[in-house]
Amino acid sequence: MRARALAAAPNVLLAAAAVALAAVLALAPVAGLAGSPGGLAALGGVAVALFVAGMAMPWPAALPWALGLLAVEYLASLEVRRAPVDAAAPAYAVALFLCAELGWLGLEARRGRRPWAGRVAAIAALAVGASVLAALLLLLGAVPLSGGPPMTALGVVATIAVAACLAWLGRR
Amino acid sequence: MNDAWVTTVSNRLPAYLALGGAGLLAGLLFGRPEPVVLAAPLLLAAAVGLAMARPPDIDIGVRLDRERALEGEEVDLELTIRARRAVAWLDVELDLPGGLAELRRDGDGAIRLRASSTREFRRHVACRRWGGRLVGHVRLRARDRLGFFSYRQEVRQPLPLRVYPRPEALRRLLRPAETQAFAGNEVSRLKGDGIEFADIRPFVAGDRVRRINWRASARRGELHVNEMRPERNSDVVVFLDTFTELADASGSSLDMTVRAAAALIDGYLRRRDRVGLVGFGGTLRWLRPAMGERQLYRLIDALIDTQVVLSYAWKGLEVIPRRTLPPKSLVVAFTPLLDERSLGALLDLRGRGYDLTVIEVSPLAFVHPGRRETERLAYRMWVMERAALRGRFLDTGVPVVTWRRGDPLDGVLAAATRLRRDTRVVRV
Repeated sequence: MRARALAAAPNVLLAAAAVALAAVLALAPVAGLAGSPGGLAALGGVAVALFVAGMAMPWPAALPWALGLLAVEYLASLEVRRAPVDAAAPAYAVALFLCAELGWLGLEARRGRRPWAGRVAAIAALAVGASVLAALLLLLGAVPLSGGPPMTALGVVATIAVAACLAWLGRR
Repeated sequence: MNDAWVTTVSNRLPAYLALGGAGLLAGLLFGRPEPVVLAAPLLLAAAVGLAMARPPDIDIGVRLDRERALEGEEVDLELTIRARRAVAWLDVELDLPGGLAELRRDGDGAIRLRASSTREFRRHVACRRWGGRLVGHVRLRARDRLGFFSYRQEVRQPLPLRVYPRPEALRRLLRPAETQAFAGNEVSRLKGDGIEFADIRPFVAGDRVRRINWRASARRGELHVNEMRPERNSDVVVFLDTFTELADASGSSLDMTVRAAAALIDGYLRRRDRVGLVGFGGTLRWLRPAMGERQLYRLIDALIDTQVVLSYAWKGLEVIPRRTLPPKSLVVAFTPLLDERSLGALLDLRGRGYDLTVIEVSPLAFVHPGRRETERLAYRMWVMERAALRGRFLDTGVPVVTWRRGDPLDGVLAAATRLRRDTRVVRV
């Protein structure tokens, strides 16, 4: 009995950490909002419920939807706040990434694949790198550059590149 | 022989790319940096994962510490893995054939390999059942550092492993009714040159002086000589009925048969007898009687390749080469008395004058009588039919002894020896 509990410990710990982080991410955008944040809170609630369902059933396909809903809730809260640029965006982005990684690690641990040290270190390094990149992007976004067709074209090319990557993976 | 690596993509990677792409699109549409910032970690992880996605480049060597083992022993399988590039996570799994089991693994089995490094480790394999097998089928599973890609490969480096049956303990063997011409350990029934005293008789011209029994001659008033029995060898044929077997989780009637046959073969060959083998079943196997160490290995190798092969073909003694069953040989048959073809062949052997002893490997231990009354009735009728069958053999002068699972073979052979004395047919 105790051995079974010990064997299940990493699985449960990872799932609990992932759900807790998802809950924090759902609460953060509505915290301190003036007025009634009912719609946003409902969106966050659905995201967390989807995340919990994805971890509990297990239902891996629910995780991307839950993460997407959390991102939508955050972006919608920015619109509600009418904030010009949110300085907390890099932290939120890294937390969202860590939430996703914890969720998938929990699902893999449930299937008997325990996280190994190398992978945890790689995720930590990625989180650090991602926070720097996100901060740089935010700084770049805050620079008053004149927009125009070249910049829009660059964005379109980046988006197409991502779509091409998806298509390539789909063929494998 | 190595298969190509089979690559599997985790559903995490398309999810990250989809979310990242949606973030970029949202950034373009709404003209805000935050969606792009949210997408950045996911896209960075996906980009790093794709950049590092390369199947492992490793060589694997498999070696057995020995090629022969006894049932119940352990053998070590040594694996040597040489990695040309770094592998973040590698799991090595042995695919062992039936009858072999991996005992324990050091750690959880997953290892990390640096570039140009070599790793050696051992896997302990328990030989649970006799038989000839090929080991060396290894399944490799590897993953990249971020867990986006999984790789699978199967390596087959067949190494023969022969697991010999655990011999049954034997103190006595069945004594053959007749002996052959070569010197051995069996006291012949015929009189001749030897050291075993047989009888005394009056001296006749040509008798050796050293054979004169002076004490008997003095008592009877005329010369008497001792008669001796020579020690000769015998021909023994072990007959295995492999038409059918009954089995449960702890063993089968064929297991019992093979273990007993191995013990008998070893015992008779030690006595310098010539021993042969007939595997009478779906596949007919035979080895002509011979003596010596080489014959022991030949016979045991033939034994461990014994298996039950389903066949509906009718077979009789005519399919067995004549020289496999020499005249005056002792035939020890192991049979569960289940197949009509082997029953017919055994009765035919008796009819041809072979010194036959049947050891019935009882299938009763492998059959549950059932719970319902009709099932129990059927079981009882079957048991009675078997008793009648044994009676049929006894009527023709063939001693039949039942060997139940768990009984020592030595006791069974002792019972067979007693029964052979009682059922001996006098030839006129």
